[in-house]
Amino acid sequence: MTNSINEVEDADLFFVTGTNTTAQHPLIGSRMINAVERGAKLILVDPREIQLAKFAHLHLRQNIGTDVAVLNGIMNIIIEEDLYDRDFVENRTEGFQELKAVVSRYSPNVVEQISGIRSKDLIEAARMFAAADKAMILYAMGITQHVTGTDNVKSCANLAMLTGNIGRPSTGVNPLRGQNNVQGACDMGALPVVYTGYQKVVDAAIKDKFEDAWGIEGLDDKPGLTITSMMSEAQKGSLKALYIMGENPMMSDPDSTHIELALSNLDLLIVQDIFLSETASLADIVLPAASFAEKSGTYTNTERRVQLSHKAVDPPGQARADWEIVQDICRLCGYPMNYKSPADILDEINRVTPSYAGITLERIEKEFGLQWPCPNQEHPGTAYLHKDQFTKGLGTFLPCEFKPLAEVPDQEYDFILTTGRVYFQYHTGTMTRRISLLEREAPEAVVEINPEDAKRLGIKTNDRVELSSRRGTIRLKAEVTDRVPKKVVFSTFHYIESPVNLLTNPAHDPVAGIPEYKGCAVRIRRCA
Amino acid sequence: MKILDKKHLITVIKNWAERYRVISPVRTSHNETIFDIFDENTFTLDYTKPSMPPKSLYLPQSETIFTVENGEYTPVTSRIKSLLFGIRACDMTAILQSKSFMNGEVADLFYNSHSDNTITVVMACAGPQNDTCFCTTTKSGPYAKKGYDLQFYDVGESFLVAIGSETGTELSNIEGFSDIDDADALNKIQSFQKEAEQSIERIPEFTPAMDRLSNGGIRDEFWERFGNKCIVCGGCTFVCPTCTCFNVADRPTAPGKGDRLRTWDACLYGGFTKEASGHNPRSSQGIRLKRRHEHKLLYYTDRDTHGGLCTCVGCGRCSDYCPVHIGTIEVVKAIAGE
Amino acid sequence: MKKTSAICPFCGCGCNFYLVSEDDRVTGVEPSPNNPVNKGMLCTKGWNSYEFIHSPDRLTTPLVRKNGKLTVSTWDEALGIVSARLKEIMAQHGPSALAFLSSAKVSNEENYIFQKMARAVFKTNNVDHCARL
Repeated sequence: MTNSINEVEDADLFFVTGTNTTAQHPLIGSRMINAVERGAKLILVDPREIQLAKFAHLHLRQNIGTDVAVLNGIMNIIIEEDLYDRDFVENRTEGFQELKAVVSRYSPNVVEQISGIRSKDLIEAARMFAAADKAMILYAMGITQHVTGTDNVKSCANLAMLTGNIGRPSTGVNPLRGQNNVQGACDMGALPVVYTGYQKVVDAAIKDKFEDAWGIEGLDDKPGLTITSMMSEAQKGSLKALYIMGENPMMSDPDSTHIELALSNLDLLIVQDIFLSETASLADIVLPAASFAEKSGTYTNTERRVQLSHKAVDPPGQARADWEIVQDICRLCGYPMNYKSPADILDEINRVTPSYAGITLERIEKEFGLQWPCPNQEHPGTAYLHKDQFTKGLGTFLPCEFKPLAEVPDQEYDFILTTGRVYFQYHTGTMTRRISLLEREAPEAVVEINPEDAKRLGIKTNDRVELSSRRGTIRLKAEVTDRVPKKVVFSTFHYIESPVNLLTNPAHDPVAGIPEYKGCAVRIRRCA
Repeated sequence: MKILDKKHLITVIKNWAERYRVISPVRTSHNETIFDIFDENTFTLDYTKPSMPPKSLYLPQSETIFTVENGEYTPVTSRIKSLLFGIRACDMTAILQSKSFMNGEVADLFYNSHSDNTITVVMACAGPQNDTCFCTTTKSGPYAKKGYDLQFYDVGESFLVAIGSETGTELSNIEGFSDIDDADALNKIQSFQKEAEQSIERIPEFTPAMDRLSNGGIRDEFWERFGNKCIVCGGCTFVCPTCTCFNVADRPTAPGKGDRLRTWDACLYGGFTKEASGHNPRSSQGIRLKRRHEHKLLYYTDRDTHGGLCTCVGCGRCSDYCPVHIGTIEVVKAIAGE
Repeated sequence: MKKTSAICPFCGCGCNFYLVSEDDRVTGVEPSPNNPVNKGMLCTKGWNSYEFIHSPDRLTTPLVRKNGKLTVSTWDEALGIVSARLKEIMAQHGPSALAFLSSAKVSNEENYIFQKMARAVFKTNNVDHCARL
């Protein structure tokens, strides 16, 4: 998030797209509801009628995968009607003419053709957005999990800059991160192209710096493989060994059949986890890890706040904290490490990561975390980014053209499947499915289907249905509901009994490598 | 009655701590006050209404209640002796209610194993602890009328200490406490009580709202308005000192072995009333909210354990911690305004 | 009973709570009342987040595949095999034949040490995690 969770309370307008916030980030969703009750406006752009729809002043149910067109359409109206923030555009940005040229092709009529959103609603949304003093854009995987994910994000940023909604409290471009430390994993350089704090592996000066800090030579200066490429390299046979710590790609990655082939093709698969996950079951070596309650460490939340979590109990049996296991392996492989505790590691992170330099253990033991960038011990942390200027100086508009889904419905596979989570389960279910109350609330996979489609196909709520794509078939229960529009079905990836990622399309965004979980072609029929 | 000079308090609690597990207000490294194991270095008297009631000492959020091995069942009960220092009158009242509820037709062995081993020392409130306190409306504070072993009244340099049980007599028969039974002390307590009661605002809508509910005058649409925004966290029931609903889950732990875990449950969860057929008699979030508030404001008023108004003890925590402001105060005001 | 300050293990909000424990069992959670993220509140997953910690399904020993079956092992054996095999594959096929998947569910320190292992010990940038998924 460019901005902070508490700032949600003071926004004038929310532009919410691709996040089912009350279910997936409930304590951010609740703040939005409270703000709307106090008078803030809410524009919801989502094909599904989620809980927030009840509070939306406008609910635009776009055709799946048409986000760029919708955002361009809104920007086009704002420019046409001269409602943009001229001052901000002139002083803080570059590339406005390029943006204008692209979005001018997205008239309300064109956008209506592409997205199914009525011109009248689009115009109203644009005017409402432009009229707000403090508009916050909030999104999650509904924006990013598309082959055009990067374009979708750029378009959100374009809209924020065009209206001057960045660099001030209660504005900004705010991705809501779905896992407790996905922000931290990125910040710590668990990415193929960067070290900690997004310092590039291809930068020779950075490479030197880390060789010095780590007392070695010969760091790799080329970008590594993303998770999606790892799987294809494994299937090809050029990747021989994979060490997985606390992930379950057999359930979470698209086209599971392909993932299983890839993992089985490895010479060595090491999986470190707290449960024998679907992925761990395939491993050559399984290492038992401690859960969050059994170790200390820091986690970085979606608003960049680095917070300390303490050890409450010992791990079961011989399970050990992940850092202890990794340290032992490094030692055995001839690289000495002598961290006595996570505090020693944080100390090193402080030293090699400019944005984390001031986030020391001593401080976060007393404060409720600190938000990066926090470059020194005196720095109070940063509640919102891009105040006065962008990191790179001027903000560049990066206009994008609309591109359709990688796999569009046809006669054989005539529905779009879009996937996500339900409120009571989390990710691949390894933790939440072992919590009796949560499992009681959501014990099995359900596919949502629109009443008209259901009627035509003779499907009733609780019927078993078969859902197939070009990549596989699963069986699960139907829920007939107008939460989903016609010709769209929705399901979740929590359940091994009906693993929806057997069906999803591995086609991914060329820049970010994110697969298109939010739309693939499927067919649905009632089980005999 | 006794008097205890404040400067002897730590010594007294340390003395108790030799015999009991003392739970008291402590200040954390983040400078927030919670109730935790007494520690001389972090103990504080500078606290208001704890964010959680002491419910988990009586009914832990989860506990194994029995184990089974080859068909043999063994109940698991607690023998830990605890002393709760500094709880508030609303919570004391709630403990009395829950005790009575848990000893209805069937006595709850597990609850009682905690309850029978827990001593209560109440700190009477001199005034509202924050702006959601309404114990004077529900007649459950600001000082406890019964149930406590000891009740402390902060009168400046010292505490006047009322004794509520034989255990209380024993607890106060140690160095640091002195006898005081003069009229002056009694007067002091009475004026403390009077001032405290007067300083806590009453909610005039409360009784009219209860009447509206009992007349059945509230339409379902009213509840659906709240239901639309409820995020189903269950927090209102978890922070409620009088909510004691639980779920049980049987789990195999090893071949031939298993246990039954009981955990706090919330009537705001759909699965709470869902039947095996899939039918749910409380089919919407609005109806679930309706039932919850009927339970607090309407039902069980006959199960009088404390001379109070209803099952709600006016602690205000549901209003403090509902993420979307569906606390008892907001609901009562909305009902009265219907 | 003991209360330990911790961060909720689920979504990216990062709600602060205390883990309430009795001996070596976490029995519940208590939201931190004053922190700026959740201010004494939690969602349904947060309120119920403690139970999986003591699930009977937890892994408690290293497992090594022998004759096609995962078999109970020791740390010495498992880590011996891991280090020997990783070194062997690196020697035979070079660093690019190794890849490391880190986790959005473990701490910063653990992500740091994991990517450091990939880069400093095995000389590869083949390190990623499931931010995309």
